[in-house]
Amino acid sequence: MILSAQRLRSIGWLALLAVCGALVMILSFRVNALRSQVHRAEGQIVALKQQKMYLETEFETRANQQQLKAWNDLEFGYVAPVAGQYLENERQLAVLSKPAEPDAPAPIRVATVDDSVIAAAAFPALSGDHPAVRPLSETHEAESDDAGAGKPRSRPLDHAQATATLAEKLGTLHAATTHTVAARDEKREKHDKTTAKHTASVEKAASKASREVVARTKAGTKSARADARDGKGGTDKAKAKAKPPVKTAQKSARGDRKTGVKTSR
Amino acid sequence: MNQLTASAAIATGRVQLASVRQRSLVTAKVRVLVVAVGFVFLTLTALVRLTQLGLFEQAPDRRSLAEALLPPRGEITDRNGVPLARAFPSYSLWFNPKALGEKGNPLVKTPEEVARALMQIFPDADYKDLVARLKSGKGSYLRKRVLPEEANRVFALGEPALEFPRENQRYYPQGSLAANVLGYVDEEGKGHVGMEQVLEPRLLDPAQRGTPVELSLDSRAQGALEDELLRGMQESNAKGAAGIVLDVDSGEVIALASLPSFNPNRSDRAFNDLVFNRVSNQVYELGSTFKPITIAAAIDAGVVTDLSVRYPTAPLHIAGRTIHDSHNFGASLNVPEALIHSSNIVTAQVADKLGGPLLRQTMMALHMNQRPTIELPARGFPLWPHGENKAGDWSRITTMTVSYGHGIAVTPLHLACAYAALVNGGIWRPATLFKVDPAHIPAGTRVFKASTSARIRQLLRMIVADGTGRKADASGFRVGGKTGSAEKPGNGGYRKTSLVATFAAAFPMDKPRYVVIAMLDEPQGTAATSGQRTAAWNAAPIVGRVVPRIGPLLGVVPDGSRDVDISDLSPLIGNGEGE
Repeated sequence: MILSAQRLRSIGWLALLAVCGALVMILSFRVNALRSQVHRAEGQIVALKQQKMYLETEFETRANQQQLKAWNDLEFGYVAPVAGQYLENERQLAVLSKPAEPDAPAPIRVATVDDSVIAAAAFPALSGDHPAVRPLSETHEAESDDAGAGKPRSRPLDHAQATATLAEKLGTLHAATTHTVAARDEKREKHDKTTAKHTASVEKAASKASREVVARTKAGTKSARADARDGKGGTDKAKAKAKPPVKTAQKSARGDRKTGVKTSR
Repeated sequence: MNQLTASAAIATGRVQLASVRQRSLVTAKVRVLVVAVGFVFLTLTALVRLTQLGLFEQAPDRRSLAEALLPPRGEITDRNGVPLARAFPSYSLWFNPKALGEKGNPLVKTPEEVARALMQIFPDADYKDLVARLKSGKGSYLRKRVLPEEANRVFALGEPALEFPRENQRYYPQGSLAANVLGYVDEEGKGHVGMEQVLEPRLLDPAQRGTPVELSLDSRAQGALEDELLRGMQESNAKGAAGIVLDVDSGEVIALASLPSFNPNRSDRAFNDLVFNRVSNQVYELGSTFKPITIAAAIDAGVVTDLSVRYPTAPLHIAGRTIHDSHNFGASLNVPEALIHSSNIVTAQVADKLGGPLLRQTMMALHMNQRPTIELPARGFPLWPHGENKAGDWSRITTMTVSYGHGIAVTPLHLACAYAALVNGGIWRPATLFKVDPAHIPAGTRVFKASTSARIRQLLRMIVADGTGRKADASGFRVGGKTGSAEKPGNGGYRKTSLVATFAAAFPMDKPRYVVIAMLDEPQGTAATSGQRTAAWNAAPIVGRVVPRIGPLLGVVPDGSRDVDISDLSPLIGNGEGE
């Protein structure tokens, strides 16, 4: 019995040794296989780099200075920019602008990110409603724009919102914009709270709202054209009718385009 | 007895049988052992080999990544990393007469037909030479450097004897751009003429050739300079042209062009007169472009303190020679007027007051008595007036002629470095073709005071704003510069019709960044130059066209509202016209 037990043990040891040996072998094989792969990858890198070099050289040859010059002479006729085409700083840019006229439409607002919320979270002392810390343009806007409904700026400060994630904020913004257009304030409040959880429903609402926007935009464009033909400027009408801001935006874009042409001349 | 024998015989038979059996058994065992040992040996061998293969053997390609990517000759790039010269395994066209076997015709069609087809692909090839090579039955290159699409077209001819081996050659993607700076590599792989020759050890060194050599050139500026020089040369029917754009603060050569030039991709056509570099190798009497240097030396030495002092303009008769002006500018001129109208007489008088030793010293401080300082191998030695005595002092007439750029011949590169010193605050720095790290700009040597340099900037600007350099006045770039039209010396004196027209300029004058020199060798009066052959009509317009093209690329923004203040000098200028 003793002998057989000893024998068993030694056989066990041998088996263990064999298993270990086999495992080491497998590991070594795997390591070596991987090494070969690395070599192959290196070979591919070399081939690709050379190919890149060929292509780059071909490109450089086809687009060399003399060739570009020949094309420019024949096809494009570009010339070096002259002094009048350069602006050195913001002041020079500002010189080109025209002060706003009394009947000028409100500045275009396509989408707004409410900086005051973030700023208020970071600097509570500068909580946006104080007139001294508000930008001049906003003050002007507040005076001129009597409708004022549905502006994201006028929302109460929300500390939790300020610290929300980017995705949440984007969701909020998206929802806020569409609902401003559709003038559905009560739904927006709801969305603000539940955006993160109910993205699907928000998207549904948004698509519905955007369909409405398209419809209204078309209508707005037509009436804006009519206004422009009248030559009276449609801002007052728009305000009186409290049309959605999209219309105003369209008009002001036109107005700005006009101004832009004037300025550049 | 018989019984005994019989029993003995039986007994032996048994013994024998037993021993036979024994022996057979042993033999069998031995054989089995041998076979077993053989099998074991084979198995062991196989196992050992297997282990060896599995553990140690690697991919057949043992070259390292870096080694495989190391080019046979290092790359040369411009300051923005645009490759100017690189090792490139391009196709060549090789005729292998044994491609279709040892015997029989090597070509499917006749040699004449093949040569004709090749002529359609390569119109510049020599038909007779091609036919001779195809008929010779010997393997030879029909053409080196074949474009991939050309190779495809040759392949479409269906001639197996026409092969396309890929060979490592030197390739210049920009063609003839900056050819005089780069040089070329011959068929043996040896660099010639330009940086290919200078950098040969560096480009071939295995430790260094992996990293490209960055030159100070800007290929875009180089392209613009060459283009405008060529145009100027063609418009004025000039024999040659040279141009340089130099950074005034670091001495970096941004562009350097010498025309006519060559294509380094066709090293077999790099003939001597094309390879010759007019910027660094040819010396010229650069004429009136020396006048600002003389005036600067005089202001610097305190000889000219009041710019309103007027000098008579009557021709000077010194040592049997007469110094006169191209036009009559009235009875007298002050220094700013003398520069604007380019008066030899007034400059000579200022130089006379300054004295030979001081002018000579200034010229030496500007390295006008040495070969130009640049890396290029071909650098011309100036014709330096050695003076009349042993000390080399200049006589009165030598001083006077040197003051307006005659009697001294230097390269355009000398002039560029001198102008850089004139406008950059007075510091002379050697020109270099290597990109300079802004932290390691050479200190240079002071030649002029900063105040002198500021005054010269005003004067140079006035020459372009009101004087002979008006055609170089690129709007918004505040160009300042000086024209120079010197007659070339010939048999028995100067030749009236052979001029060297130079315009040496810098911009923007309120804070100079670059010196631009344009030089035309023997320009003719043509319709494009209004029948004139002087620098104001041919060299100055070149600068006027180059500056707007290169300025924005080099970070100089044109600005019409800014200029160097010349209000203190404006009242000194009369309304005279001059050339």
